[in-house]
Amino acid sequence: MDMIGLLGWIPLFPLLGFLILALAGERLSKSAIAWVGVGSVAVSALLAGLVGSEFLTGTLQPYHLALGTWIEIDELSIAFGFYLDALSVTMLFVVTGIGFLIHLYAAEFMASDPVLPPFAIPCRPRVPWELQRPLDRSETQRSSKNTELNANASAFDLGYARFFAYMNLFMAAMLVLVLSDNLLLLYLGWEGVGLGSYLLIGFWYENPHNGYAARKAFVMTRVGDTALLIGLLLLFRQLHSFDIQLLMLRATAHWPAGTLMPVAAAALLLGGALGKSAQLPLQTWLPDAMAGPTPVSALIHAATMVTAGVYLIARTHDVFLLAPPVQFAVATLGAMTLLMAGCSALVQTDIKRILAYSTISQIGYMFLALGVGAWSEAMFHLLTHAVFKALLFLAAGAVILCCHHEHSIFKMGGLRKSMPLAFWSFMIGSAALSALPFTSGFYSKHEILSAVYQVSPNLWAMGCLGALITGIYSFRPVFVVFFGVQSHLVTKSPGWRMNLPLLLLIVLTLFGGLLRLPLDSVFPLVFKVDRQPNLVSLITGAAPFFGVSIAGLFYLSGAFSAQRLAAYRLLNPLRNLFFSGWGIDALYDALFVQPFKALAKFNKHDVIDDLYTMTALIGQWLHLTVSASQTGRIRWYASSMALGAALILAIGRQS
Amino acid sequence: MNGIPMEQGLLLSAMLFVLGLIGVLVRRNLIMMLMSLEVVLNATGLAFVVAGSRWGDADGQIMFLLILTLAAAEVGVGLGLTLQVFRRFHTLDADSLNEMKG
Amino acid sequence: MSMNPFFALAPFVVIAGTAVAVMLGIALKRNFGPAFAMAACGIIASLLTLRMPWRDSPIQAGLLIWLDDYALFYMALLLSAGLAVLGLCYDYFKDREGQHEELPLLLLTALLGALVLVGSSHFASFFIGLELLGISLFALIGYPLNQARSLEAALKYLILSGMSSAFLLMGMALIYAQCGELYFSGIGRYIAGQQDINVTVLSGTLLIVAGLAFKLSLAPFHWWTPDVYEGAPAPITAFIATVSKSAVFVLLLRYFISSGSYSYAPLLNVFSVIAGLSIVGGNLLALLQNNVKRLLAYSSIAHMGYLLVALIAGGSIVVETFAFYLPAYCMTTIGAFGVVSVLSTAQTEADDMACYRGLFWRRPWLAATFTLMLLSLAGIPLTVGFIGKFYILTGASGSRLWGLLLAVIIGSGLGLYYYLRIVVAMSMHGETTATVKPFGRDRASTAILAVLTLLVVWLGVYPSLLMNVIHSITYVIE
Repeated sequence: MDMIGLLGWIPLFPLLGFLILALAGERLSKSAIAWVGVGSVAVSALLAGLVGSEFLTGTLQPYHLALGTWIEIDELSIAFGFYLDALSVTMLFVVTGIGFLIHLYAAEFMASDPVLPPFAIPCRPRVPWELQRPLDRSETQRSSKNTELNANASAFDLGYARFFAYMNLFMAAMLVLVLSDNLLLLYLGWEGVGLGSYLLIGFWYENPHNGYAARKAFVMTRVGDTALLIGLLLLFRQLHSFDIQLLMLRATAHWPAGTLMPVAAAALLLGGALGKSAQLPLQTWLPDAMAGPTPVSALIHAATMVTAGVYLIARTHDVFLLAPPVQFAVATLGAMTLLMAGCSALVQTDIKRILAYSTISQIGYMFLALGVGAWSEAMFHLLTHAVFKALLFLAAGAVILCCHHEHSIFKMGGLRKSMPLAFWSFMIGSAALSALPFTSGFYSKHEILSAVYQVSPNLWAMGCLGALITGIYSFRPVFVVFFGVQSHLVTKSPGWRMNLPLLLLIVLTLFGGLLRLPLDSVFPLVFKVDRQPNLVSLITGAAPFFGVSIAGLFYLSGAFSAQRLAAYRLLNPLRNLFFSGWGIDALYDALFVQPFKALAKFNKHDVIDDLYTMTALIGQWLHLTVSASQTGRIRWYASSMALGAALILAIGRQS
Repeated sequence: MNGIPMEQGLLLSAMLFVLGLIGVLVRRNLIMMLMSLEVVLNATGLAFVVAGSRWGDADGQIMFLLILTLAAAEVGVGLGLTLQVFRRFHTLDADSLNEMKG
Repeated sequence: MSMNPFFALAPFVVIAGTAVAVMLGIALKRNFGPAFAMAACGIIASLLTLRMPWRDSPIQAGLLIWLDDYALFYMALLLSAGLAVLGLCYDYFKDREGQHEELPLLLLTALLGALVLVGSSHFASFFIGLELLGISLFALIGYPLNQARSLEAALKYLILSGMSSAFLLMGMALIYAQCGELYFSGIGRYIAGQQDINVTVLSGTLLIVAGLAFKLSLAPFHWWTPDVYEGAPAPITAFIATVSKSAVFVLLLRYFISSGSYSYAPLLNVFSVIAGLSIVGGNLLALLQNNVKRLLAYSSIAHMGYLLVALIAGGSIVVETFAFYLPAYCMTTIGAFGVVSVLSTAQTEADDMACYRGLFWRRPWLAATFTLMLLSLAGIPLTVGFIGKFYILTGASGSRLWGLLLAVIIGSGLGLYYYLRIVVAMSMHGETTATVKPFGRDRASTAILAVLTLLVVWLGVYPSLLMNVIHSITYVIE
């Protein structure tokens, strides 16, 4: 049977799930909600598996499924369709596979959400986000106000259906994004995942802080989205098509490399990618996005949506090849982001924020790879990262859940014995994150760094430094949370729906390095992987070990103390700088928010408003004037008609 | 072919048309308005007959027959409605029918 | 011409036959349900018989009727719209006092007139169709004789419509006097043969335009519209707004193309003035209107103005624009008036804005439907109205009609305000003082509204469905 034709059905099931849950969710029982919400994604994953395996066992020729013409007016004709090649198959597997596991996990995670009286935790005051992270507080004080506690009873009863409705909506949009054959449909998916992300970050909307975080994410990514929109309109204007493959062909044929057009187009596309993938300078929303439930962080803000930018660049790599300056910018921004986010991850105390900064940093690696033209290496890292980061988040979720929604790593400890599965998950996930050998992360990061070395040793050095830092920050929470003295009494243990995804993801993390998707059929082959051990690969491989050792010295053996280090006068401001994400929020506040506020204050009685008020008044006045003409009298109407006839006769004769 | 030039015939019908129109506009009695409307319609019928005679063609007169039918039907419905108006409002003044406006 | 013209005329014959049958049936025994059922069957049968001429189109059926794909497409549209209105009428009238059996009969004759209009290629059929439609409408508007507003509306429409018919006939007579032709194509040949613009023909054409502009409620012939919309029963208002106007617009376009009037520059100037006045005037009149039916009446003036812009723009796209805009307009307008009709009771017509206060909390589905229809009328994306407006903007910008384009844009902005006023009213909390009909008894209306809602969204998201049909329609000059 021709399975590949089922491609069009894959995004349909989550969409149906969304519609059912949105329209009838409140009438369904909890188990029915879980069946619909998880089942729709399961069917999608099954279909994706069938379609993908048929594609991979075939000739690898791109498969194009025409969905028909959306609109056709005069010369404007926009056809919609799905496009399947090795790149979209990779994304398809990531989205449906990990999506399914996380949905399954969430079915239990969200069901066991605490039911607290609404007054249990006071809401945070509405203050700008950079002030919410006071720099002078001790590490342990901060995280007590974790946000997941604030779900209250009334919200929760409806929340289960709402949660899965949003998740399914997100899945549908994400699938449209990765399967679309043209930029317009891709943009629809792009905005759809943005909407899903916004809704889910602010899922516990009773706490104003969560709504704030959601809005921040929406606005920050919106900056990038606008660039992307302009970019795709520019491409359409210049090359007269939205079809991606056609655009790439035409771009290569019509545009000489390095000229204005491809540079502008690539820069605008990059703008979109930077926003969605939380890269410098638009990265500040992602740590705050952790306000959403943990499965959301795992699915959207680690595995799938935030990697959409990487996918976009890989998908339109022909344009980037024509724009060397932009490609250089991609690599540089990636390298800078991975270092900056890594440093911030070093000093965070909230377990989810550590993971958030690590996500930014790992996507930085992907951008670095994209920037040097290592397309398939970037996609490979995307794949492995999606697996191990989902594993880490889900394990963190289990820990958070069992520690009664505690987020601070310093309030946990010694959980190794009481939560063995979570421990091993976290352990293996962290090993993969820091690219220790025999994990999937090792293969993908090693490939990236060896490819980068062939292009620019400087960037490679930055990458290696990043790998060192990664080793430290990824094992810091392992040592702090799972070793030492147990502080929490673990009263409940996760059920099978949470354990099964963890087990499967452990297997994938360990053996994911063997997954070799035939991405070379999509990208120009640039780099030959150097299998010979030499100094470069030695350093690359050794860097994480140093990092892990440092983390061990500080947090396991206690040979060094972080507290004592922080006591140095020079280091504490640095720590605070890292902690606040390099103060970028404060910078943006000073650069954009405050001037805008000042301007708004200055122009309180907006001059331009007068224009609109005037328009409204004029409209009102005109309405009253003309409506006086509707007198309701037949004879007035008849005379006006006669006059009208005379008028048009006069106009006709005159002209 | 015939003694009356077309222009004069058309002029006559135009005069009738305008007279009828003025009747619709100035009379307040509904029945008088309907009668004036009849005049206007017949004026157009006359124009058709005149035009038909110019081309020596029966079409103009056929159109006139159709117009007569229309006028009859219209007046039929119109008088029916006028009767109802009189029953309800006890007046035939067209200007009193201005409940709906604005 | 392989087909017997009689078979080609089958859709007309079926409607006329059903009308006679309904009349005889009423004479034998008055029965509300069967009369409606018979009429519905007749309309469906007529829709089915449209297939016969479709295969062999274009066909000259008899002397007066010209059936090409263009005409057949609109006949299908009008019949479907008629069926929907019939369904709304059933629910509207079923619980009212008095005898309502003649209503389907009158609807059928009005529909027959509209069909004749669409298929006409000759002044005689043009005129007969228009008057058949018009006279049936007088009776339909004034059908609830016990209501003063209906009576007032019917009489106003009758007298003003008589005047407009007189303009129209005078125009025809002038053209006939000059050309000696009553066929549209014959007039076209005459105009093509002339070097200059003939004053008599131009005056005649302008008078015809005046007559048709009345039926289309274009400014400055729009005066009757709000009063008649308000006075007529809600489903009949839907009929006037959709079937009557669509048929006349279709005819206007046909006459314009067949008679070659596009070569008359003065005519285009006149149209531009009319369109501008209608768009600006209609929208301004609607701005602060508190009566929903009147508001929709004013908005329909503006909509007809938009469509006239497409006509002025002309070009290859005009037939396509009409074929998309008119169905889109029909389904949204019937949907909007359908909601009004469902909310109306035997005592009060639901036309005051107060009836809609808090509708979202009382009847969420109905309110959602109404919102959707209003958004479509406003031309918001993802509704069919947006695609329609997109066509018009495409046409206008293609022909560089910047002034009219500006009018359309300003008009749309004003439109958004008053459509959203209703939506805002519906979403406000608070009890309404108006009496509300119990829910769930109007099965026919509910089904019709459901179908229309689906269509509006579906065609708004995926317009190709209709576009593919439209692309296959060819306009054939006889």
